[in-house]
Amino acid sequence: MLSLTSEIRTPYHPWPAGPKLGAVCLVTASLFIIGSPWFSGAIVLACLGLYALPGLGFLRQGLGALRMLWPFLALIALWHGVSGTLEAGLAVALQLLAAVGFANLVTLTTRLEDMAAVVTRAASPLRRFGLRPERFGLALALVVRFTPVLAQRGDQIAQSWHARTSRRPGWQVLAPLALGAIDDATYVAEALRARGGIDPVEE
Amino acid sequence: MSPEIQFDNIRYGKDGREIIAPLTLQLRERRIGLVGRNGSGKSTFARLLTGLIAPDAGKVLVGGVDVFKDRKAAVGMIGVLFQNPDHQIIFPTVLEEISFGLRQQGRSQAEARETAQAILAKFGRSAWADRSVHGLSQGQRHLVCLLAVLAMAPKVIVFDEPYAGLDLPTRMHLERLLAGLGQTVIHITHEPPSLQGYDRVLWLEAGKIAQDGRPEQVLPAFEAEMMRLGGGDALADL
Repeated sequence: MLSLTSEIRTPYHPWPAGPKLGAVCLVTASLFIIGSPWFSGAIVLACLGLYALPGLGFLRQGLGALRMLWPFLALIALWHGVSGTLEAGLAVALQLLAAVGFANLVTLTTRLEDMAAVVTRAASPLRRFGLRPERFGLALALVVRFTPVLAQRGDQIAQSWHARTSRRPGWQVLAPLALGAIDDATYVAEALRARGGIDPVEE
Repeated sequence: MSPEIQFDNIRYGKDGREIIAPLTLQLRERRIGLVGRNGSGKSTFARLLTGLIAPDAGKVLVGGVDVFKDRKAAVGMIGVLFQNPDHQIIFPTVLEEISFGLRQQGRSQAEARETAQAILAKFGRSAWADRSVHGLSQGQRHLVCLLAVLAMAPKVIVFDEPYAGLDLPTRMHLERLLAGLGQTVIHITHEPPSLQGYDRVLWLEAGKIAQDGRPEQVLPAFEAEMMRLGGGDALADL
C-alpha cells in the first residue's frame, strides 16, 4: 500500500508542510550535486536518527516503507559488482537510500491535505495559462486515495481468475481492470458533484 | 418543516430507452420510501432528485432550488448516501473526507476542519480523524459517508440501498442513526420491512409510479406482486 500519513504521532507532524517539502528538495538536490558517499552516508544516518527519535514503532514503519527499494539496491550492487566499480555503486546506493528515506519521512509526517495545499500554492503561477491550481491538489489526493482501491480491485480480478483456472493471470486481466477503473471514476465524479464539484464555491 | 420536493414533468432516457417516464410529483413528508425492482429506475430517480444528472425534460426542485442547475444551493439542500462507500469517499483520511464538502460550501480550511472534528465528536468517533479510510471496515466507511453528508447540513438526505452488504449489527446501528435524523429522509430499497412507520411510499415500476400512498397500503401490494413474480406464477404468465 502507498505510504500515507503515519498514524503514529511524531514531533514532526505539526511542522508546516511547505518548509518540510522545501527541505526534501534541498536535501535531494544537494545529495546529487555534492555526490560524495560520505555526505550521502551522513544523511542516511541522520534519517535513521530522525526515524528512531519518536520510538521503535515509527522506526519500524520507516524501514518498512523502504522495503520496496531493496530490489533496486540489489540491482545497483549487481551491476557495479560485475563492472568492477563497487565504490561508485555504493555512492549511488547511498544517494538513493538517503533521498527516498528523507522524502518518506516527510510523507509519513505530513497530512495529505497540507501537502495538497502546498502543491496548489506552488502551481498558482499556472493560473496565468488558464489552469486551476486547486485541481493539482485534488488530483494528488485522488491518486493517494484510489491507488490502494485499484490494487485491491486488481487482486480481486486475479482471484476470480485463479478460482477458475490453474494458469497464471496474464494480460487478459488488464482490460477488466481498466474498465473497472473507468467505471469507478464515473462514480467518483458523481460523488464530487454531489458535494459541490471540484472547485470551491467562490464567495 | 420538510422542504417541498417537486418533480415537474421529468423525463429521462438513455440510448433511446425511456428510464423515467414523464413524472410529476410533489413530496412534503419527512420519511419517504421508494421501492421497486432492479432496473425499475430507482437509482436514476435518486440521481435526478439530487441533481447529479440532467433530466431530458422538466426540472426537479427541492425547497425551491433547481438541483441540477444551481449546484451551490443544491448541495446545502440535498445530500446523498450511495450504496458503495468506495464510490463515495474521495479522500484518503477521514477528516479530509468530511471537510471536503464544507470547503466546497465556501468555508475556510480551519473552519471546515473544526466542523468536521465537531461532527466526529458528536458521534463519538474523534479518534478517527487522522485514520486512513482504507483501513476502516465497510460499516465504518458507511458511517464516514453519512458523517460527511451530515456535516454539510442538507435538509434532505437520499439513501440509496443503505443496508446492502452490511452485517446485522452494523445494519441495526445505521438504522438507529437513520431513524434519529431530523432531516427529511428519502430511502430507496427493495426491502419493504425497512420502511415500516414511514409517512409515504412510492412504488416505481419501469420508470412509472405504480402506487403511491401510506406504507400499509403500498407495501403489502408491492410484496404480493414480488412474491407472485418470484413464484411459479411468473412463468404461468407467459
